[in-house]
Amino acid sequence: MSAIKPANPLEMVAYVLSRQIQDHMIVYVGTGLPMVAAILARKTHAPNITLVYESGGQDPIPGDMPWSVGDPFTWRKSPIIQEMAYSFAQSYNGYVDIAFLGFAQIDMYGNINTHMIGDDFLKPKARLTGSGGNNDLSSLTERMILVGLQSPEKFVKKVDFITSVGHLKGGNSRQEAGLLGQGPVAVVTNAGVYDFEPAGKRMRVKSLHAGVSFELAQLATGFELLKPEGDIPVTEAPSVEVLEILRNEVDPRGVFISFPPK
Amino acid sequence: MYNYNREALANLRIDDTSVLDRLVDFASARKAHLEKDHSKRDKRMTLTEAIKQFVQDGDICTDAGFAYVRTPHQAYFEIIRQGRKNLQFIGSPNTNHSYMINFGVCRYSHNSYVGAEMRGTDRNYSRNLKEGKVTILSEWSHGSMAQGFKAAQLGFPSVFSKQLLGSDIVRYNPYVQVMQNPGRKDNDPVVFIPALYPDVTIIHVHAADRFGNARVYGPTVNDAALAAAARKVIITAEEIVPEIDMRYNNKGVIIPFMYVDAVVEMPFGAVPGNMPGLYYWSRQWWEKFLRFATLSDENLNEFMQYWVFDCKDQFDFVDKLGGSKWIASARRLTRTAEYDNEDIGFDYSYDEYRPGHNSGIYY
Repeated sequence: MSAIKPANPLEMVAYVLSRQIQDHMIVYVGTGLPMVAAILARKTHAPNITLVYESGGQDPIPGDMPWSVGDPFTWRKSPIIQEMAYSFAQSYNGYVDIAFLGFAQIDMYGNINTHMIGDDFLKPKARLTGSGGNNDLSSLTERMILVGLQSPEKFVKKVDFITSVGHLKGGNSRQEAGLLGQGPVAVVTNAGVYDFEPAGKRMRVKSLHAGVSFELAQLATGFELLKPEGDIPVTEAPSVEVLEILRNEVDPRGVFISFPPK
Repeated sequence: MYNYNREALANLRIDDTSVLDRLVDFASARKAHLEKDHSKRDKRMTLTEAIKQFVQDGDICTDAGFAYVRTPHQAYFEIIRQGRKNLQFIGSPNTNHSYMINFGVCRYSHNSYVGAEMRGTDRNYSRNLKEGKVTILSEWSHGSMAQGFKAAQLGFPSVFSKQLLGSDIVRYNPYVQVMQNPGRKDNDPVVFIPALYPDVTIIHVHAADRFGNARVYGPTVNDAALAAAARKVIITAEEIVPEIDMRYNNKGVIIPFMYVDAVVEMPFGAVPGNMPGLYYWSRQWWEKFLRFATLSDENLNEFMQYWVFDCKDQFDFVDKLGGSKWIASARRLTRTAEYDNEDIGFDYSYDEYRPGHNSGIYY
């Protein structure tokens, strides 16, 4: 029996996200779990990645967990700090390999909402943050990974506001709308990992975390999930070594990986 | 004469477009720049005078820096104390206009982002929107708004962007249009983004000379573009240096004197935000703002009474954060985070704000 507690759902998300990063990639990083994942990747299988942040910092030397994407840790002894317009232009010009985005709502095509909940934009049930860099990265970046907790309120038939386009209406509608990159290539949640079926671009189960059945994942989803061919794989869980790095070195105070969340 | 996006006007229920005009009125911005006193003269004045003279009711004002990084919070607080009304706010991010709505200081949003990332959502903004106390005039992403400011700085009427396409943001932004790229024969949609000209920008810097040449260290975000675009520019500076210092140490000088109308000596002008090299942000202040003040109008009033109306200047504010102990801690935090101080053995941990918690120092 292992002496270490198995990964909690947030640690699982951070680990799966980190596995999307390959060594030597340029990674555009947002606040929260994406930061945790990028730092974990750098401390494990991808030590030579370059991190880029929207307040302009890039390639900082390692330090503590940033409090914000404007934190000094995002530009700690950076050789160059870019203006905001230039920072996003790096993604347009092909100098970003992968980016991670969070959401309040997501639909079956990976379109996401961080604007508002409700059906009246001028008098919403709840107004949320708005885009920030979310739309910019989803419009421009070659490979997008979407990350969030899974529930029927978040995984909806129709998002209340399209902040950022994923695969729009499926097929090649993203490309026809003039957007760049492959769009979302994966969705990572506390229940599983999803990709998008190549022709129609609808969300499809890629793997489910240990203990999660397809029926359970479907129950947590407000639209019909596609099944992969054959048996659904179980998501690979982090090794004891990786969990120890995550808990002791990446987020030792559990700011982002405590469960339930702090 | 601007060709507004009709769908967005309808969606935002804007009948009278005159409220939108100045942001994209290049002719009036150029005229304002031409009619400024171009002489290289001593522009030093107090913050009170600068806000009185250069921030008028109804102005389009910017949120500068990066929400809580090198942002002129203390100048914003003076705007609130002076009781300006009906300002429009624009910025990427646009975090700070939320707490001005409650006092009628801000009436209109050009939105890109409101909030403070993982610290919690800004329920004050949401509540004010629902109650009709703030009107959204345009929705943006950070990058597309940055392109509008950058176009102004570059001397371009507009840029074509690949951002916003296919999203609902274009349906709620009267300034932008989806178009076919005129340079191509195949299908290539682009978004027309006009150059943006705010009325007044306030930029907090590390050092300025008395003419207005201004130097910063750390992220500049959109500030060089904002200073070029705005009709009026106020510089608040941690210190005023002799002009010769700007000439010999010109690395980081992003604002030339001719843009500038007022220079204010303002140590701690970015408190409670982060000033690179000088002081870290007060994390507990921001947590208290999001987790206490934004919960109700009463909480917000109590919070702002204590931190704004009962402070005559930034020194009162710093005293409330914890005085010289806070200064030493905030300096050590930022110097260590930036790796200008030794970090081996340094403990970044702190108690997050929770109700009733009072350590006497807002770490």
